[in-house]
Amino acid sequence: MKRNLNSRTDENAIDAILAGEGELIPSSGFLAATMERVREEASVPKPIPFPWLRSLPGLVLVAAVLGWCGFEVVRVALAHPEEISFAKMHVAAANWTALGPAGWVALALGISLLSWLLSRKLAGGSGLL
Amino acid sequence: MPAAISAEEDLADVNRVLAGEVQAFEGIVRRWQGPLVNMAWRYCRDRGRAEEMAQEAFLRAWRGLAGWRRESSFSTWLFALAANVFRSELQRFPVVNVPLEDAAEPSGPATQHEGLARKLSDESVRRAVLALPRRYREPVVLYYFHEMDVAAASRTMKLPEGTVKARLARGREMLKKRFPQLGEEGSMPLKLALEQKKEITQ
Repeated sequence: MKRNLNSRTDENAIDAILAGEGELIPSSGFLAATMERVREEASVPKPIPFPWLRSLPGLVLVAAVLGWCGFEVVRVALAHPEEISFAKMHVAAANWTALGPAGWVALALGISLLSWLLSRKLAGGSGLL
Repeated sequence: MPAAISAEEDLADVNRVLAGEVQAFEGIVRRWQGPLVNMAWRYCRDRGRAEEMAQEAFLRAWRGLAGWRRESSFSTWLFALAANVFRSELQRFPVVNVPLEDAAEPSGPATQHEGLARKLSDESVRRAVLALPRRYREPVVLYYFHEMDVAAASRTMKLPEGTVKARLARGREMLKKRFPQLGEEGSMPLKLALEQKKEITQ
């Protein structure tokens, strides 16, 4: 509820100065310029939302695989606790030959990245990220 | 002024905009351009910037129109949104201010140019508001923008009335300390100031 300003006689000068400020009139082009920006904004097509429903089976599958992996790691660790050692995590130079399949993994990751970038481009840069 | 603006017209225009009629937003801009530009002006005291900030507020309102839940009036929603926009704009690019203690002294009344001296003196007080710490500045800006209505200012800031009152009192206290010479004898009475404001508005 607004106060009855005229009934206040004990106001100090600061109140009077701040309350008595005149109104600024917007410039003549303000309305047109604002509506121009609104129309521009309205003409831009809305971004395509990420297809959560379609991706749901994939997400469930990924979650299941990760859960299964976690479960297996815990199961093995509990069955053979003596084999879990940080010292064994050191990769000896001689073992580098065993990392041959890493190239294939890197290639697969690269192809995945490219297909993701392509799909983002086709979708107009919108979506999850 | 905000109170005179019809709530029904706002509601009708909002419904038309939400139904896909972009042009209906013009009615909203037409009715609220004055209040929003004036509000922005009080935040920065720079006309060009005030219009830019008000325009940004209208754009945000356009984007978020569907988010107005109609529990509060359209004006309350619009002012709260605008205050958020102005606050974040001024955080990104702050107004260049002198510290409160360095704010210009109001000049004493000169016999020949009393009107001009008073104008300059008043402007130095208004500019000093921008030099207040942020937590005290906004309640002062909004309290006087809303014609000294604490409830309206607190709704715009989304803060409890008690908090706004306390911050307002502290802000005014700081201004009074800065301008002790603005005593009763040299000041324009509030009633007169408001009458002058009415004349300017009309």
